[in-house]
Amino acid sequence: MLQKRENLYLFLFIACIAGLGWLALNHAEDPEHGLTLCLFRAVTSLPCPSCGTTRSVWAVMHGDFFQALYYNPLGYIVLPIMLITPVWIIIDLLTKSQSLMLFYKRVESALRKRNLAAVLIGLILLNWVWNIYKYVW
Amino acid sequence: MDAQKVDMFIMANGKFFESHLVGQIRDRLLVLDDSKWSILNTMQFKDPTVSLIVSLLGGSLGIDRFLIGDTGLGVGKLLTCGGLGIWAIIDWFLIMGATREKNLEKLQMIFI
Repeated sequence: MLQKRENLYLFLFIACIAGLGWLALNHAEDPEHGLTLCLFRAVTSLPCPSCGTTRSVWAVMHGDFFQALYYNPLGYIVLPIMLITPVWIIIDLLTKSQSLMLFYKRVESALRKRNLAAVLIGLILLNWVWNIYKYVW
Repeated sequence: MDAQKVDMFIMANGKFFESHLVGQIRDRLLVLDDSKWSILNTMQFKDPTVSLIVSLLGGSLGIDRFLIGDTGLGVGKLLTCGGLGIWAIIDWFLIMGATREKNLEKLQMIFI
């Protein structure tokens, strides 16, 4: 499905716009009392590794960088992706290039390398433990 | 390739592909060189049912997408609580088709 450039770009674009829309929806409210859509948290009442990312991105946009790190460090990864990808897609479409798709494929194959994957999985698990710790205490 | 061999492959592995494509796969395998038979026989495909189970259990962490080899989408799902829970639910319905598509991609390697 995502082998073709147009499909991949359409999907990424919709995903980023949905993410930005989600942020806009939560923008006015106090982030501690926003909507929770996370399935994992709804089922187990424990947070998943990325719970808190909305609050984190919200805190970054309000200049509260340490609070963002506390909410969830993954916010620092999600926010640049969400901001850069739509711009990159538009540039790619205008210049008829496919640099984003090549970059995406390169990242994908890099992530399949066993050592890098193990390190990243370890970091995600650590973040998860921290997330649960923050939630319980 | 021998019709008997091809039919044996289809019988054993037909469930890993979209049913409307099995006929085409058979036709293409029939004209394939016999030397590819051993490679074809050792190919491992992902079971759509297994990916559905993984999607139901670990879908909100993106594990189903990692399993079938969509690493990029898996990361996307992992970083967003399964796409705010919505994508995780949509994927319960899409993941079996996606698995079959990935299997077809893998099988197509043999035709090159």
